[in-house]
Amino acid sequence: MSAPLSPGSSEGNPTVASALAAGAGPCRLVHGPIDGAAVLAAVSAADAGGNVLFLGSTRGVTDGVTTLGLDYEAHEPLALAMLEDLRSAAMTRFALCGCVIVHRLGRVAVGEASIAIAASAPHRKEAFAAAEWLLERLKAEVPIWKCEEDGAGVRNWLHPGDMRSGVGEER
Amino acid sequence: MVQTDKPSMPSDPTPFDRLPPPPAGQRLVVTLFAGMAEIVGSRHLEIDWNGGTVADLRREILAARPAIGPLLTRSAVAVAGRYAADDRSIAAGTDVALIPPVSGG
Repeated sequence: MSAPLSPGSSEGNPTVASALAAGAGPCRLVHGPIDGAAVLAAVSAADAGGNVLFLGSTRGVTDGVTTLGLDYEAHEPLALAMLEDLRSAAMTRFALCGCVIVHRLGRVAVGEASIAIAASAPHRKEAFAAAEWLLERLKAEVPIWKCEEDGAGVRNWLHPGDMRSGVGEER
Repeated sequence: MVQTDKPSMPSDPTPFDRLPPPPAGQRLVVTLFAGMAEIVGSRHLEIDWNGGTVADLRREILAARPAIGPLLTRSAVAVAGRYAADDRSIAAGTDVALIPPVSGG
């Protein structure tokens, strides 16, 4: 998803500052709804020609099974440090103008966003690539977990993959 | 010896039981998350610790809590807030967390 933005610096934009809350950095773990528009606005920059916002939301049905909602938890200090490392790497790797990553914790109802990644770059290709790269790295490495509650009220923590196969290595 | 927030049954005597207990404060508190905390029934494991590596810690936890074995073998260990390799030394009192396969996003 992309949207037109007025030029400006994300650091100096008062609307963005208030929308993301006082003292908020470019990587955040939040316990309430994510304002996607504010996240996208936070990466606006005068030299950005491509502005991408990815929102991941709770799906109501997966492979025919109803989901009532998802509960997320995290090792918050480690998750935040890793998000900041990944963001810094993406800023360099894709020559971004701006980048913001927000992940929601706690209960996320069907249709609501659990994650927002916004990236801006001089050209769209880098912005799209950065958002996808960040999402894939986050899903493989950052210590955040989801617990799925199905239509019968059965809860199941999801633990796919293997954390001992090269976590933290460049790939 | 591994302790959780819940009272546990005394274990069978082993040679280790005849060793003097570690000095007060020589222990690790291992934080658990998600399905691993659910299996163990606690957010923390408290372990008497005379020093060792991440691999040593894995062996001790596996012996004490075999039910988390399948998840533990696929988990990372975070030491002092960073993922750590199996040969990383852990001093008593260090913050340690088990990181089962992640599912954020």
